[in-house]
Amino acid sequence: MGDRVRRPQEAAHAVPRPGPDGSALLQRVARGDEAAFEQLYDLLIGPLYGVIRRIVRDPAQSEEVAQEVMVELWRTAARYSPERGSAMTWAMTVAHRRAVDRVRSAQASADREENVGRRQLARPFDEVSEQVTTRLEQEQVRRCLGTLTDLQRESVVLAYYGGRSYREVGELLGTPLGTIKTRLRDGLIRLRDCLGVA
Amino acid sequence: MTADVHALTGAYVLDAVSDRERDEFERHLRECEACAQEVYELRETATKLGRAAAVAPPPALKASVMAQIRTVRQDPPQASVTPLRRPRSSWALRMTSAAAAVLLVAATFLGVLLVRARDAADTSEAQASAMATILSAGDAQVTSEGDENGRMTILMSRSADRMLLLADDLPAPPEGQDYQAWTITGDDARSAGLLPDGGTATLEVDDIGSATQVGITLEPTGGSSRPSPDLVMEFDLS
Repeated sequence: MGDRVRRPQEAAHAVPRPGPDGSALLQRVARGDEAAFEQLYDLLIGPLYGVIRRIVRDPAQSEEVAQEVMVELWRTAARYSPERGSAMTWAMTVAHRRAVDRVRSAQASADREENVGRRQLARPFDEVSEQVTTRLEQEQVRRCLGTLTDLQRESVVLAYYGGRSYREVGELLGTPLGTIKTRLRDGLIRLRDCLGVA
Repeated sequence: MTADVHALTGAYVLDAVSDRERDEFERHLRECEACAQEVYELRETATKLGRAAAVAPPPALKASVMAQIRTVRQDPPQASVTPLRRPRSSWALRMTSAAAAVLLVAATFLGVLLVRARDAADTSEAQASAMATILSAGDAQVTSEGDENGRMTILMSRSADRMLLLADDLPAPPEGQDYQAWTITGDDARSAGLLPDGGTATLEVDDIGSATQVGITLEPTGGSSRPSPDLVMEFDLS
């Protein structure tokens, strides 16, 4: 596939890696270290803004939510401890939740339907030109999504990247709620096993 | 239903649940080790899904963020927000009779129907201790506002530098919003915590400083770093 062999090292490295330890930075932030917070911003903002933008769509609102998330990380840094997981997971959990809350509180859910619905199903990665993630990460996720059944993949993508509740997914796909819950869980478990819990 | 709740781990991790379902599932997580472990692992997986979508924001965002954090106070390590609802029915028995006597006398003196209005089930040991500390301080003050459709009571002592905000039967906030309490000093407002479901709840505030007011606002779910302009309730402190 493709006319030349692509090696992982050729992927763009716009996100510093491995580089600074997010967990250590976040613990310094908890003590009010602004320099550490600035480094944490650089480390996290690509993934945070990216997932928010994917869900919220509107660039201005996406920036607002991204700022709210970074401020919340600053404010609540003392609650983080390494046994709770990586700083990235901590931050992404906050970001995803806030992005989903933002779109769900928007009145015009009908607009969301027509703008987002079917497009999400077809191509989860449609903004290739703006990607700062490594090709490798993106390919791994794409490949592992490919190991899911169609229903599992569509459910997971609608839920995660589309910010849909499992009830909305059920309605969109015309599938019973119990089945959707199971597909979301099975799909994530399959992704976990494929991607590895590193 | 028991089998059903375990199946919610995927939907929960993907934020594909309603606020109520999330609250219920988080209660379940405290009791189900297997689900807690699964959630921990699946969160890492979801993070990888998110990372694959990474996009650089406009560079100006960074300066905006750095400017704002300089105005935001960080929460202390011991969260002084205690949301609600963990029945600890034995605390009343464990209180010493002296402390109980102080509470009763102080409550009677202040004319506050705190003890009557609140179940032991709604108040943790730490809050009971804070209540005793405040009520036995020489400068304890109480202010209360509301009726059978919701009441907010503030109990504080400047000398003890402690405050309890006691909500009783607050109406549930609108979907997508939480009540947030603030201590206000002039133009400066500091979050005292969230009352996500309204109802009956207690917030403990340490470090009142020179706050002259307490305000309650409606904020987006999860709270805000600055209060929105409209106060749902407002109390002046002496």
